[in-house]
Amino acid sequence: MQIIESSKVKEKVYIEKLENGLTVAVIPKKDICKKYVIWGTEFGSIDNNFKIEKNGEIVKVPDGIAHYLEHKLFEQENGKNSLDVLSSLGVDANAYTTNNHTAYLFEATDNFYEALDEFMDYVQSPYFTDENVEKERGIIGQEIMMYDDYPDWKLYMNAMKCMYKDHPINIDVAGTKETISEIDKEKLYTIYNSFYRPDNQVLVLCGDFEVESILNEIKKRLKSNNSSQEVQRIYLKEQENIVKKYEETRMNISKPIFLIGYKDKVEPGEMVKKDLAIECICNMIIGKSSNLYQKLYKEGLISEEFGYNYEFAKNYAHVLIQNTSNNPKKVIDEIQNEIENYNKKGFDKVEFERIKKKMYGEYVKSYNDISSISNNFLADSLRGINSFEFLEEVLVLDKDYVQKVFKEIFVEDKKIVSVVLPNE
Amino acid sequence: MYGATFDCGIDKMGDNQVLKFYIESINDNFVNETEEMLRKTINLILEIVFNTLIENGKFRENILEIEKQNLRQVIESKIDDKDIYAFENCISSMYGDNGFGLYKYGYLEDIESITAQSLAKNYENLINTCKIDIFISGDLKQLDVKEMLENDENIKKLAERQPNYILNNESTESKQKVDKVQEKQEKLDVAQGKLVIGLDVLSKQENLGCVALVYNAILGDGVNSMLFQNVREKASLAYSTKSKYVKQKGNIFIRCGIEVDNYQKALDIIREQLENVKQGNFTEEDINNAKCYLISGIKSIEEEQDSEIVFYIGNEISKLNMNLKQYIDGIEKVSKKEIIEFANMLEYNTIYFLTNK
Repeated sequence: MQIIESSKVKEKVYIEKLENGLTVAVIPKKDICKKYVIWGTEFGSIDNNFKIEKNGEIVKVPDGIAHYLEHKLFEQENGKNSLDVLSSLGVDANAYTTNNHTAYLFEATDNFYEALDEFMDYVQSPYFTDENVEKERGIIGQEIMMYDDYPDWKLYMNAMKCMYKDHPINIDVAGTKETISEIDKEKLYTIYNSFYRPDNQVLVLCGDFEVESILNEIKKRLKSNNSSQEVQRIYLKEQENIVKKYEETRMNISKPIFLIGYKDKVEPGEMVKKDLAIECICNMIIGKSSNLYQKLYKEGLISEEFGYNYEFAKNYAHVLIQNTSNNPKKVIDEIQNEIENYNKKGFDKVEFERIKKKMYGEYVKSYNDISSISNNFLADSLRGINSFEFLEEVLVLDKDYVQKVFKEIFVEDKKIVSVVLPNE
Repeated sequence: MYGATFDCGIDKMGDNQVLKFYIESINDNFVNETEEMLRKTINLILEIVFNTLIENGKFRENILEIEKQNLRQVIESKIDDKDIYAFENCISSMYGDNGFGLYKYGYLEDIESITAQSLAKNYENLINTCKIDIFISGDLKQLDVKEMLENDENIKKLAERQPNYILNNESTESKQKVDKVQEKQEKLDVAQGKLVIGLDVLSKQENLGCVALVYNAILGDGVNSMLFQNVREKASLAYSTKSKYVKQKGNIFIRCGIEVDNYQKALDIIREQLENVKQGNFTEEDINNAKCYLISGIKSIEEEQDSEIVFYIGNEISKLNMNLKQYIDGIEKVSKKEIIEFANMLEYNTIYFLTNK
């Protein structure tokens, strides 16, 4: 068993790879009554093309199938839906699908082991019929339409299309009404057997657990799947350059929203440091205490904080900066000027140290909540990182390194802009 | 301050407007003790609230202008989230231009008349006369927080008061059956239609809250509810379908996002569910599921700092001094008979539909 400890938040994580290949991570938290469990599979919307090893068959699946599978996995052969069963036990159960993984989870104060029975059973027992697959089409269709009315989602998807030519991150996680019409039970079984293999999964538990005993409880509930098959994912090689610099669209909204993106490349082993460096840079340039933010706020060009994020997984990475403004062009130009200024003068030492402290405080705070600890731990481990690294690295972040990242990433020819304007 | 967060906001709780100031900072355990983060944090928020920058009876003009502009944008942005937009519009159709019917951020036409002076006067009046509650949550074992507050200069300056606010709870709301159910449709360029139904609880009974919550969980709160099972799972008409009980005003609101052409179909299924509860067409298992769902929610309040504060602030405003244990007991005691009685106290008030046709 591997034990990783964080000296900063005094937490430990115990990681064990079970015989069947499943990785289990336990994060014990004494004296709290809530328990949280999340089971992730490294299979998301970007995994739409793969080769089946045993016969060499190349499979291309419809957009949105990972998410469709997430909805359908709750269906059980006895006619019950596991989401209903878990809810009857008084536990809060849910699931979600992202670009690179799908996760099933529950949070319990009582009935934990009964819930664990149901939970581990349904994730390991797919039951798809023509009828239950058909039934979901209308529901997911409405979920897609709900997103169609979200301006932020449109803004984001347009940004992805500006940045990526061949990488499937430019497709919608839920697919479209057309693509989901191609999904049937055979396709769902194929992807289940291909990707829902223990060696492609991580189970994270957080709560008042005794490590050995909870590991035994998990082992007792494991099942084997004789239909499981090895696959190799196929990703087209994505160009380093962006596709187009600018995209705008109109929706029924009150004022324009915009997103600036910088396409980056993945450097394995570097990503935690890079992520911290970018967070630090964004704080200094456009954070709430930055000169630029204060200026734009006083001029009435923006009214809320910028959202910023370094989004990355094993094979994509980009910076996203977002806000709302009546004059997006002016704000985008001002940001560009500020970037050029900082390129000339460099970052201020005092400011840099202050931002590091702020970031440290925020990382510590994220350990308040067992669900965010577990979700982060899962997402990080599926991209080859242990979450504690952020806490360890932030206080030793080096200014020269940050400066170097800044010069490499925030460059004009990797930059795209996506804008959603109000209807005329 | 290690990324301490400060925020403020406005909540509408029944007919009351609640101003909230919020600060969150790192626990002293995680930083050098001499930093006294808790003390600094408390001092800071009290300074912001009670020692506000008002000069010669005025806020600064330039700041006021920026904030007016921001407020305009906040008010206009109501339309950006269609689900909330439809919900707010249903409420205002039901309650009109007073109290609960008002949009919490106000209206564009009123902004102009606000001056640096009138706003300062209003704020001072609010600080001097309103009910003020301070909630502090965290790992506070070794610190005398009460003393810290009592010795604060800003707190010492506050005068005793008889606060004037509107007590809203199950026993204060009396409603008449509306003559005619309002049916409102609004057209916007949307992909999905949003259906909102507002129902009145025609009763003025005390301790109705727990019955109402169990009723609501059976009807439309959670995956085992009738709305989720029938509108979503059986008829595949919606992804999101739910109901909510607003105890301060005695209302149940039903909301769902549907294909515009499915309006009548969805409405018929929803009516059928409401009728089913009235007729007692639900099982003991449904009741237990509902109770279990609610109780596990109540139990988790204690473990989430934000929820705990929200719970106690709700208690303060409604003067229902219920602790979590009493709350759980109240839920457990609810009987099938009470649920059916409650269902029969409900009347349609408004059916609102946001559509693209």
